[in-house]
Amino acid sequence: MIYLYIIGVDMAQPRVFCLVLLTVALGAQALTPSHHLSLSDVDRLKGLLSQPFTDLASAYYSIVGLSKLGASVADENDACQFLKAQLDPMSVDSLFFAAEASQAIADCEMPVFNETRDILLAAVSEDSTVTQIFRAVSALSSLGLPLASQEVVAALVARIAKEDNVLAITTALQTATRLSQQAELGGILEEIEDLAARLDDLGGVYLQFEEGLEATALFVTAAYTLSDHADTEPPLKEDQVIQLVNSVFSKKSWDSRSEAFSVACAAAALSSNRFHVPVIVSTQGPATVSHSQPILHLLVTDILSNPLASANLLVESAQAVASKSVVLSQAPFSLRNGIFELNFMASQPASGYYQFTVAVTGDSRLVANQVELKVKVSTEVAVTNMDLSVVDKDQSIGTKTSRVDYPFKAKGSFTADSHQNFAMNFQLVDANTGVELTPHQTFVRFHNQKTGQEVVFVAEPDSKNLYKFELDTAERKSEFDSMSGTYVLHLIVGDATLENPILWNVADVVLKFLDEEAPAAIQSKTLYMPKPDIQHLFREPEKKPPTVVSNTFTALVLSPFLLLLILWFKLGANISNFSLSPSSVLFHVGHACMLGLMYVYWTHLNMFQTLKYLAIIGSLTFLAGNRMLAQKAVKRLASK
Amino acid sequence: MSNSVISVISRFLEEYTTKTSNKLKVVDAYLFYILLTGALQFLYCLLVGTFPFNSFLAGFISCVGAFILGVCLRIQINPDNKGDFLTISQERAFADFLLAHTVLHLVVINFIG
Repeated sequence: MIYLYIIGVDMAQPRVFCLVLLTVALGAQALTPSHHLSLSDVDRLKGLLSQPFTDLASAYYSIVGLSKLGASVADENDACQFLKAQLDPMSVDSLFFAAEASQAIADCEMPVFNETRDILLAAVSEDSTVTQIFRAVSALSSLGLPLASQEVVAALVARIAKEDNVLAITTALQTATRLSQQAELGGILEEIEDLAARLDDLGGVYLQFEEGLEATALFVTAAYTLSDHADTEPPLKEDQVIQLVNSVFSKKSWDSRSEAFSVACAAAALSSNRFHVPVIVSTQGPATVSHSQPILHLLVTDILSNPLASANLLVESAQAVASKSVVLSQAPFSLRNGIFELNFMASQPASGYYQFTVAVTGDSRLVANQVELKVKVSTEVAVTNMDLSVVDKDQSIGTKTSRVDYPFKAKGSFTADSHQNFAMNFQLVDANTGVELTPHQTFVRFHNQKTGQEVVFVAEPDSKNLYKFELDTAERKSEFDSMSGTYVLHLIVGDATLENPILWNVADVVLKFLDEEAPAAIQSKTLYMPKPDIQHLFREPEKKPPTVVSNTFTALVLSPFLLLLILWFKLGANISNFSLSPSSVLFHVGHACMLGLMYVYWTHLNMFQTLKYLAIIGSLTFLAGNRMLAQKAVKRLASK
Repeated sequence: MSNSVISVISRFLEEYTTKTSNKLKVVDAYLFYILLTGALQFLYCLLVGTFPFNSFLAGFISCVGAFILGVCLRIQINPDNKGDFLTISQERAFADFLLAHTVLHLVVINFIG
């Protein structure tokens, strides 16, 4: 189902992305095309094909492509001469391009030589590729030369078995369209269904070959041309046809002439075959009706944006989206100047959105002929019974109500201080029917001219659709920043279905707040100014004790060493037993080195280096020490 | 009460000076030195503050570790304890002392910062 969302005043063309999303999101009971070739697209296609051609192949694409779109090359005589000049009668491809192109031009005949027929017939065999067979058969048929259809069929079947790719089979299908109808085309017809099974389904919206757009377009052309030729309905379901339409016509600018040619052929095949003709229903401009424009205009075209000759448009049902009530049922459109018209306002719909289900009838070939549209009925709003009053909170003093009429402003200003409330009552009605409305936007705006403050509140309707707004001065003082002064009061009414949004300066209101703690400068103005710079504070180094103290304590801590030396001296410790053996010398040296290494570790090295050196020195010291201590032990035990 | 404390202390001192061998007294002097050093470091920390804390810890742990290792050495070389340390000769005790000190110094220097 297609949903054409027309909100606002712009949008002539439905937005593709939005539609694809919606179509996918809402599921498809019956799919409708989301892409087709609009008139500007067709012109662009013709423009690409009309570019000057330099060789036979591009001439073929341009001439035949344009003829499929119902146009022709700029200078037909020139084209014909070009074809004759470029023709190489010995080449099958050359003969194919020239012959096919000349068929598309009126009064252009290619010369036929004796050898031509032999060359072309020789190409029709199991040993040539399908493309060769196709080109030979087409050339033979365009040049009016006889060919044996049954032999061609046999060759094709043999080649299909060998070349099992999409393009080859599509080309085989195209070849079959040139054969006599008496030939046995059944086997080849079945290939359509097999090929269709190879299509990739993308999100339920697109159906295409992984080989690309050209392959898909050529398949569509071949399938429908062959089905017409064999008078058999192609085995494609309605949804598949629509998905193929989406795939082929989603690209609006084409890379090459051959791609444009394939799209042109597909468009021609889909708009004028005997079995399936996809129909496009679109609005002319936004789908909006109102009292000033009560008529809904719809266009019914094929995929080339040509209006359908025999089509009738009927509204099956028009249902209000909000209330789900059916407003219209089984109403026909009238055709005027190729556009279908319906006066929807005659059914007197209330303003809002309506879901239309329209059906296109009149041709049994039509595909996707049930379309869903969203139509907006807009109206004008009028503000009535606007009463402004200042109500005292304790209700001891009577209210002062004044009626203001749109678009005038209230004569005096209203004053409300902290003991009073300011109240506003009004009604919003449809200007044409008098029905009460509840638009999406009903705002009450207070604007302080002096300080630039703007405070907006929402007015809400009660159960009887009467709008009430009450401002409690004391309660709301924070929103006004407690700034007393004169505030200009505006009423803002807006909605998508309103043609006349309202911005009405209703009155001036003087508000008095109790405590004027508001700063002189307005907060909001400084909100977007650059903030003060933050200076980075580096980490303060910790407070160290004065050097005197640490020096004193260093001396103090080292002093027990002196005491130790004195004590040792007093005890009589000496080194008289020091033997000058190499191992003991080495031991002491090594030990001293280790202690030195500790110091070096503290100042220069890291743990790994230290461990390395320690290992070396340590092992030496250990060996020496071991020796020395062993000698000492021996000495000690001997002296015992 | 205080009398008995004083008499205990004087008796202890007397026994100490006469009974302990010179070797042990040398080690005791060393232990006393280590003790003083550690106590002075701790005093500094109490008075001035713990900055830099890692250095204080390194120094203090060094003193504590050295004291413990010294005590171990003293126990092991005391001839009265020979029965407990049959497999460990005096030289072996000293070698252990040196090895343990190497490891201690490595750790302390690493931590001193």
